[in-house]
Amino acid sequence: MNDFQQIHSRRKFLAQAGAGFGALAFGSMLGRDGFTARAANVAINPLQPLASRPPHHSARAKSVIWLFMEGGPSHLDLFDPKPALDRLAGQPMPESFGKPITAMGTAGNTIMPTKRQWKQHGQSGIWISDWYPHIAKHADDLAILRSCWADGLNHVGSVCQMNTGDILAGRPAIGAWTTYGLGSANDNLPSFVILTDEAEVNGGPKNWSSGFLPATFQGTMFRRDGTPIFHLSPPGVVSDRQQRSKLDLLNALNRHYALDKSEDTELAARLNSYELAYRMQTAAPEAVDLARETEATRNLYGLDDKLTAKFGGNCLLARRLVERGVRFVQCYCGSGSAWDAHSDIEGNHSKWCKISDRPIAGLLADLNSRGLLDSTLVVWGGEFGRTPFNEKGNGRDHNPWGFTTWMAGGGVKAGTVVGATDEIGLRAVQDRAHVHDIHATILHLMGLDHAALTYLHNGRDERATINGGEVIKPLLS
Amino acid sequence: MGCFANAGRLLALIGVVGLVAARAEPNPPEFSDRERAHWAFQTVRQPSVPSMRDKWIRNPVDSFILAAQKAQHISPNPPTDKVTLVRRATLDLTGLPPTPGEVDAFLADRQPKAFDRVVDRLLSSPQYGERWARHWLDLARYAESEGFKADETRPNAWRYRDYVIKAFNDDKPYDRFVQEQIAGDELWPENPEARIATAFNRHYPDESNARNLMQRRQEILNDITDTVGGVFSGLTYACARCHDHKFDPIRQVDYYRLQAFFANTAADDNIPLTPSAALTEHQLRLAGWEVKTRDLRAEMEEIEAPKRNDIIKDYAEKYPEEIQTALNKPASARTAFEAQMVAKAKLYLDPSSHQYIASTKAVAAALKGDTRKHWDELNKQLQTYAPLHPGNLPLGTGVVDLGTEAPKTFLLGRGNWDSRQQEVAPGLLSILDPKPATITMPANVRSTGRRSALAMLLTDPENPLTARVMVNRIWHHHFGRGIVATPSDFGFKGERPTHPALLDWLAGEFVRSGWSIKAMHRLIMTSSTYEQVATHFETAARIDPENKLLWHFPRQRLEGEVIRDSALAVAGRLNVQMSGPSIFPELPAGMESRGGWPVNHDSLDRDRRSIYVFVRRNTRYPMFDTFDMPDTHESCARRNVTTSPLQALTLLNSAQMLDLAQSFAGRVFREAGSDRNRQIIEAYRIAFARSPSKSETAMLNDFFQRQDKILRERAEAGERLAQPSAVTAPVDPVHAAVLVDLCHTLMNSNEFVYRN
Repeated sequence: MNDFQQIHSRRKFLAQAGAGFGALAFGSMLGRDGFTARAANVAINPLQPLASRPPHHSARAKSVIWLFMEGGPSHLDLFDPKPALDRLAGQPMPESFGKPITAMGTAGNTIMPTKRQWKQHGQSGIWISDWYPHIAKHADDLAILRSCWADGLNHVGSVCQMNTGDILAGRPAIGAWTTYGLGSANDNLPSFVILTDEAEVNGGPKNWSSGFLPATFQGTMFRRDGTPIFHLSPPGVVSDRQQRSKLDLLNALNRHYALDKSEDTELAARLNSYELAYRMQTAAPEAVDLARETEATRNLYGLDDKLTAKFGGNCLLARRLVERGVRFVQCYCGSGSAWDAHSDIEGNHSKWCKISDRPIAGLLADLNSRGLLDSTLVVWGGEFGRTPFNEKGNGRDHNPWGFTTWMAGGGVKAGTVVGATDEIGLRAVQDRAHVHDIHATILHLMGLDHAALTYLHNGRDERATINGGEVIKPLLS
Repeated sequence: MGCFANAGRLLALIGVVGLVAARAEPNPPEFSDRERAHWAFQTVRQPSVPSMRDKWIRNPVDSFILAAQKAQHISPNPPTDKVTLVRRATLDLTGLPPTPGEVDAFLADRQPKAFDRVVDRLLSSPQYGERWARHWLDLARYAESEGFKADETRPNAWRYRDYVIKAFNDDKPYDRFVQEQIAGDELWPENPEARIATAFNRHYPDESNARNLMQRRQEILNDITDTVGGVFSGLTYACARCHDHKFDPIRQVDYYRLQAFFANTAADDNIPLTPSAALTEHQLRLAGWEVKTRDLRAEMEEIEAPKRNDIIKDYAEKYPEEIQTALNKPASARTAFEAQMVAKAKLYLDPSSHQYIASTKAVAAALKGDTRKHWDELNKQLQTYAPLHPGNLPLGTGVVDLGTEAPKTFLLGRGNWDSRQQEVAPGLLSILDPKPATITMPANVRSTGRRSALAMLLTDPENPLTARVMVNRIWHHHFGRGIVATPSDFGFKGERPTHPALLDWLAGEFVRSGWSIKAMHRLIMTSSTYEQVATHFETAARIDPENKLLWHFPRQRLEGEVIRDSALAVAGRLNVQMSGPSIFPELPAGMESRGGWPVNHDSLDRDRRSIYVFVRRNTRYPMFDTFDMPDTHESCARRNVTTSPLQALTLLNSAQMLDLAQSFAGRVFREAGSDRNRQIIEAYRIAFARSPSKSETAMLNDFFQRQDKILRERAEAGERLAQPSAVTAPVDPVHAAVLVDLCHTLMNSNEFVYRN
């Protein structure tokens, strides 16, 4: 079944287009040869590939804000206290733990205890270290997943996997899968947005690529300097009225061109895309204009402090985007691997915890007070955690075998701890949660079944979770 | 297939040193009747051309197409008008719009076979190779950088791009083209071109920061296996990496049988390209420079040595033990597998590698204080001798085997690099031939001969896949859809051929023509099938909505590269200079590119064709990225065609497009002067190769009036207006700016970005 069978007159075509997506219950199509129709297993409106689509099941969250602490924050010093580290301090790792291949060849080094003070917080009594005092006040909103594990040793592969499911680049990002599955929930902004605060993310745009999915679903990076999107505003020598008039001519030319090609939905989609682009020119600058927020709100995110202003600004922007129907915001803290504390973890993490603590707490509080937390899934984590043994005496190496991610908001069981690492926090041992499980859970909360959301590529019905993935049930409310 | 005539040719080519006796696998896989009967594995038949008499038929392609249509009670469309046809063919073969002169010449040629002459002219233009090489580069996952974190430049990767362009322009026989890419180093070791061709298997993404080289090697081998299996055989081998293929008769062992051909393969980034006479001259000059600078360099090396040792030690110590052990052994004591590990590590530890981690630059950066000052002084002195230095020799990049003995290949449990199971010998798909391949060690190069054997197996005329897959790719690019719509998946999950007999007939013609790709273009393009109008008819659409039977020509959106090239062409700015290192056109202001993006200063360089734009894996040129340029991390046989607001923003708002619109307007102005009706006619002629209709002229005149008013107000307010470029005659700045707006709009229009 295909569009051409359904749409064989211009009149009917326009009637259906006008009736909105709900009326277009036929097979999806992007490519004119019908191949994409068979590759995709969601019904995509060829006129508006980004039109909103119904979820597989009722969604618990409408949007995701993923706070990505790039470089690998230490679970052992933040959310996963291990008294055994004190006992084993200065000794080599007991032989029973084997000798993993690490990024820096440090597995023979001695165990390093944490210097943190730990306390239980809130009604739930969740352990959080003194590096995160503001977030600790929201302990009862958090669902802490202490048993994460991943496949990569290096940053670039691990960041790539946390975004796309695979340590090798080339697959669609989880945000692209979400957009593919659900379409957009707004009609003047991109649906999948990336925010960075420091250097380029390791691996760059591969991490928000649409991979083998149509490019329509790729993420868009919003910049903080200049216009948020490249080419968002007309060149300086073109005024708005002038551009509108050009667009009117363009529409007239394109309609004229399509007179004897009315069956061609691709031409119509192209016409629509110019109108969407035109609306975006106004909507995106408005969305990123933080000056429209009250001073109280701005301060809540730490915009009054030079140290926290940048990442805080991104957190506030993430909220504004979510309010405007953006489905997926990938919000990096320390982009370009700032959390990578191979040495001097004290100095490194003290700084980056301070940078992220108030803004994240502010985001949780703000979402809560606006009634947005119920419909927004907040995810916190890095691409991996850090090792119990030292590197260079005062740092920690990469640890993909066991680390912590937490979630809050839409559909998450607040005030809970799931899973556990071993005695020294090296490996996840209880309720182990692979990256694919995290992705399956996020898709589930967004109303999508990770196993059913597929796209035929090179002979496989590819899915976000590759071969694996199970929804982490204990995390769900 | 079974017996392979090419085995004899291979022996003749490389001479016999030793034959590895074929031994049967212990348990050859079993296949069901259904699997054995799958169409793609059957020998290519020699179907007779349907005997039909119809004046629509121009060549046998039409007979097959018409027969299939008749069976469904569909009639083909009439031929399109000559202007549309020449635009279609020119974009198709060269990726550029026809010039007004070319259109006029075709319109004026009323002799029979006028279009055949157009096709011949296009096929012999150098722009043909540039256009069709791009299709091949998609398959080869071609990029000029490593990918992963640092995304470092691969300095000589572009030579492969030039090789492919030349191969298409020379109409290199496809069998030879395949042989060179798989095993050029073994088959023609003295021929630099053949060795550069082996870069096909060097385009894998790679991680310079990897520690576990055992895993990294396996990932590279997987990349090569997936790519070779998909590109030359049209099979989704990758699905059989972890288990037997779920749909196709590709057993897991077959994955590793194909992989075993590459077991001893490693990167070769130092392929010498200098003729021996020039080499002698170079060595003489170098020796002169070395003598004069010996003391100075010795002094510098003394300063550098401790830092250099630190850098190397720190790097090497991060490797797992087994790799450190291999590094510390004398070369003769290393196993073949260890040699593989060392070759990989040497990309970073060998001073002759462009990725050497302790390069002079890296070491100098680590020097501090007075030491650095002293070093800088010495370096300054050294630089005074630079004019005596002959410069670096040009080098090519590709692959070679590391000697005559290959590490063993194992079937890997779940595809994990460290789950070795049974040993596997090189071989084709078991369903085609379960025996191990016969390997002949080449006489004049230290290599296993494995890849030569594979090259010959793939290009054996009896191979049921190779010719079918390639003619289908050619068809796919002409019509936007292959006879098999999944050009790299001829398996059960792929699409069935819409015209199986035609596919076989074409495959047969392909081999009979001496594997000539240009002969295939001629055959396909001089058919009535190709010349049809693109118009849609409801009666036919009801029966065949997807146009599988080709009752009309399928309209196609141009690729990002072609849109850019077309814009440069209509702007009169296209620099057709061919070959050489890649160019770096402007990025949007503020865009980062790790690995670097040194924008060319000279606009002449920036205005070269898109195939010469540098391909940085992690930061593809944004305009191409937005228009579905493939990812370059894996082979792409069929680009997506998507429509997005970011495409609209790029064409509408980028400084580059406005700049080109100004040049386009300047060209119109120079040709047509300030008469607006003449401007409209000229702009249409350049952009669309046709005259505007009356209603279009009326539409544009409306626009002129409306835009005059808007821009007049802006001019009176003292605002700057975009003016046509390179116009010397006096112009009304408002009228001129309106013309720029018109030209800009035409370049955004559907007619401009579609091949009709």
